[in-house]
Amino acid sequence: MAIRQSIHRSIYNLGSKAIGAVTVVRDLWLLFIGAIAGVLRTMRRNDPSRRPGEIWRQMHSMGNRSLVFLIVTLGFIGMVMVYQSCLQLARVTGDYSQVGPQFIRLAVSDFAPTLTSLMLATRVGAGIAAEVGSMKVTEQVDALRMCGVAPIDFLISPRLVASFVVTIVLSILACGIMYGAGGLTAHYSFGVNLNIFFDPSNVRNSHVILGLIKAASFGIAIPIVSGYCGLAAHGSSEGVGRATTAAVIGSSFAVIALDFVISTLALLVMPGGV
Amino acid sequence: MSTPFIEFRGVQKGFGGKPVLRDLSLDVQRGEVFFIIGTSGVGKSVTIKHLIGLLRVDAGEIWFDGQRVDGYTEQQFEGIRRRVGMVFQNSTLFDSLTLADNVALPLRKHSGLNTRQAHAEALNLLRRVDMHDYALRYPAELSDGMRKRAAIARTLAGKPEVMLFDEPTTGLDPISARRIDALIRELADTMGVTALVVSHDLPSIFGIADRVAFLYQGRVYSIGAPGALKVNGDAIVKQFLNGESAGPMETPGF
Repeated sequence: MAIRQSIHRSIYNLGSKAIGAVTVVRDLWLLFIGAIAGVLRTMRRNDPSRRPGEIWRQMHSMGNRSLVFLIVTLGFIGMVMVYQSCLQLARVTGDYSQVGPQFIRLAVSDFAPTLTSLMLATRVGAGIAAEVGSMKVTEQVDALRMCGVAPIDFLISPRLVASFVVTIVLSILACGIMYGAGGLTAHYSFGVNLNIFFDPSNVRNSHVILGLIKAASFGIAIPIVSGYCGLAAHGSSEGVGRATTAAVIGSSFAVIALDFVISTLALLVMPGGV
Repeated sequence: MSTPFIEFRGVQKGFGGKPVLRDLSLDVQRGEVFFIIGTSGVGKSVTIKHLIGLLRVDAGEIWFDGQRVDGYTEQQFEGIRRRVGMVFQNSTLFDSLTLADNVALPLRKHSGLNTRQAHAEALNLLRRVDMHDYALRYPAELSDGMRKRAAIARTLAGKPEVMLFDEPTTGLDPISARRIDALIRELADTMGVTALVVSHDLPSIFGIADRVAFLYQGRVYSIGAPGALKVNGDAIVKQFLNGESAGPMETPGF
């Protein structure tokens, strides 16, 4: 009897968690649709949710303020990756001619957008969840509803546009930083000729498109997941803290999951192209 | 007595299985300054938030101007929110906007004014609460009392028939608190605004209320004019009004 009850409880818990996960995905999808609709609505000149310069302010907050953090982090990652690759090759063949061309191919299609977005998920995701969460627990979100303004239009839509643009721009920049830092490391540590390292001939249009699709997708996912966590905050400052943690974990998970899905789809759609 | 403007009938509401409102019933007449009082956590704010759809009842009925509204959709509640404004406990001005922008936001939404017209009207409303000199300041640069007054101006922007005040004098010095009281009374007397005020500030209650409902254990325990409440011989009402820690009143958490 006890075993049967335990099995029933386990099945019930599993079912509850599955339903909970499906509900979260549904709510994220609805938030995404709502935010896109909000972007279209706020394009109208006299829409009350439209705040002149708000998207620029958000882009400055997300982009400019992440710049040093990203340059340092991605620069070091590029250096370490190239150094380790050269080190392994030195033990096997000693031929470094393919390090640069293969590295830039991977950086364009995968490393740059994914690592940039993971960095942004921590900094930007936490910021969005903390700001929106604070507004939620201090009833500012309710006050927006009382003013007849949709909270999604006011809070999520400008951040969605800003994050979309900033993630693409920063991914391109990060790619250059990683490539440059990696090249200098290869040159000064292993004597690799810079002309041989900086050979982009392996990069095809499909790699660039794939990298841009990933950056754009991640740029959308981060504000949606973080905004969702912020809007779900309740209680007091403790609730905002929980929302912020959930936003960082959720955004990072979304980036990795989307990377897997997009890479798999790319392999199916253009086999040999990526 | 005429048909109530606002009516709560047997309202029940709980959070996480814990009941807060248990069969709460009360009615408010048009143009009245009606106070809901009671200890912290008794469900005063919860009660008024039901009227504008920020919370939904578990059971019971809510009537507004002859219409049953408790089953309204979010879209239908937008119509109610044009007629009912709310001044929240923490003022809830938007930090990223100046006072003028805060007040102009509902004007642009509800009145269809363009940005320039909305700002001109926002200045008029700020002048009404004596805050026009601070129109270009951000909420963080102002005192609590100033923020409360600006929040009232923002709520007035929607030209509401009913204004809900959630502890409007909490955290204010006595002078600022009495100024807010005077403003609430003035709105009722000059504009005919019905005011539903959640408070446990006794000078406010006895200063400006037409009627008072005392909530206890999720129900209306006593209702009537403030003078009648004062002479009420009930031990629980007396304990609350006298602010005595010892007595028959059960206060969860203490």
